[in-house]
Amino acid sequence: MVEIRNVSKSFKKGWYALKDINLSINKGDFLFLTGPTGSGKSTLIRLIYMDIFPDKGEVAVAGFLSSTIKRHEIPLLRQRIGIIFQDFKLLQDKTVYENVAFALEVTGSSGRKMKEKVMKALALVGLSHKRNEFPYRISGGEQQKAAIARALVREPFILLADEPTGNIDPEASGDIIKILQEINTSGTAVLMATHDIYLTRKLGGNMVRLEEGRMVEW
Amino acid sequence: MFIIREALIGLRRNGVMTFIAINIIFFSLFLFGLFLVGTFNIFGIIKVAREKVELNAFLKEDLSDKLVDELSSKIKTMVGVESVEYVSKEKALEEFKKEMPNATSLIEALKTNPLPPSFKIKLKDAFTTPGKVEEVALKVGIFSEIETVEYGESWIKRLDRVVKILFVFDVLLGIVISFASVFVVANTIRLTVLARKQTIEVMKLVGANERTIQAPFVLAGLIEGGIAGAISAGLLYLIYLLITRFFVPFYFPTSPIFVGMLVFGLILGFIGSKTSVKSTSMEISLETSNL
Repeated sequence: MVEIRNVSKSFKKGWYALKDINLSINKGDFLFLTGPTGSGKSTLIRLIYMDIFPDKGEVAVAGFLSSTIKRHEIPLLRQRIGIIFQDFKLLQDKTVYENVAFALEVTGSSGRKMKEKVMKALALVGLSHKRNEFPYRISGGEQQKAAIARALVREPFILLADEPTGNIDPEASGDIIKILQEINTSGTAVLMATHDIYLTRKLGGNMVRLEEGRMVEW
Repeated sequence: MFIIREALIGLRRNGVMTFIAINIIFFSLFLFGLFLVGTFNIFGIIKVAREKVELNAFLKEDLSDKLVDELSSKIKTMVGVESVEYVSKEKALEEFKKEMPNATSLIEALKTNPLPPSFKIKLKDAFTTPGKVEEVALKVGIFSEIETVEYGESWIKRLDRVVKILFVFDVLLGIVISFASVFVVANTIRLTVLARKQTIEVMKLVGANERTIQAPFVLAGLIEGGIAGAISAGLLYLIYLLITRFFVPFYFPTSPIFVGMLVFGLILGFIGSKTSVKSTSMEISLETSNL
């Protein structure tokens, strides 16, 4: 599903954000991506959703190759991936429901079927009762749940989570992890980047550790 | 449907920004409209002045009617001549009395009518410049039946100089105002797009294609430009009504102004939003834009 082969990425000459990375993520995997700030976790995630491209090596995601993908194909790839961030990236001028529905509307969905999908995604993260609230009126944990619902509404094969608990309190973080585990149980692969090594040890599971752009543990 | 709704939601929920943008676009268009009305009026006045450019070809006395008719026909066919009007001795005297009532007694003292018959020759617009007028005057003067040809040489030269200066000034002002309008409007719309940069970012993340990303912003730009254009045309019309009613009447090309302002507003809105959303979308991911 996701293959990263010999990938190196540099943003400035002589300094590698990622160096010789090999990684594969398959259906149903739950993988932690750990490492200190600046170790290359976000870069790796950006390479998977093809926001950036490797200088060396190749990334293959759901049949799309980083070396051959065309610009107009990137939206098609993104429609098959769910992405959440530390800063939620919710639209403040839209309600929770509208934020989730937005992910479907931009590709032409509408009507009752779309509504059903949105309500199902909101129910999955336990946020149905807050659907008419604007993001600035709900807590950080709830905002992240809304972001997860938006990422899930397209039923992606993989969910990329870049420090999803970085901006929320420990209790809400536990909820978010639990939701991610439930999503994983239903078959969606999850790649979660976090600098919190204690959290990963506590939860167990597969882990990839990055240090200065190199993979040190898998 | 999504595009229309998204454009309207964007305009409504970013109300303050929309209000400011429409006002700035309106003001730019209004200035441009004032310039256009001014230009129309100045060139209207020049046209009227140019229509007054005429040649007076004074004829020898005692020419037969047949000869006058023949001569009139010949002059009419000359290049640059719009119309030829015969002014008999009697008519010339009548006009003289009408124009200079104080000098009537002087003429009457002479017992005979000293004024010669003449042709009033009106020229086509393109032949009212000093060089062309002189050219026609020389050709008319060749006929042996014509004593002299007069035209207000110095007045025509002065008019020509004024027209040239006004034209250069008008063109320069037009260029400055046009560029200023485009610059101000494009940047204003750019600010409204930048204020919603995150919307573009999210659209890209959830897999919207470029057309879907750009369309709501372009539509919003068109709406802002259109509203601003309509308001500026309306205000210009109101000013025209007030000035005409209380001060001096002036020429107001109603349809060209309304259509022009609206179209100019729409064009500015379209270009401003299209370029802004495109560049903002590119900025969000520079590497993707290089594909």
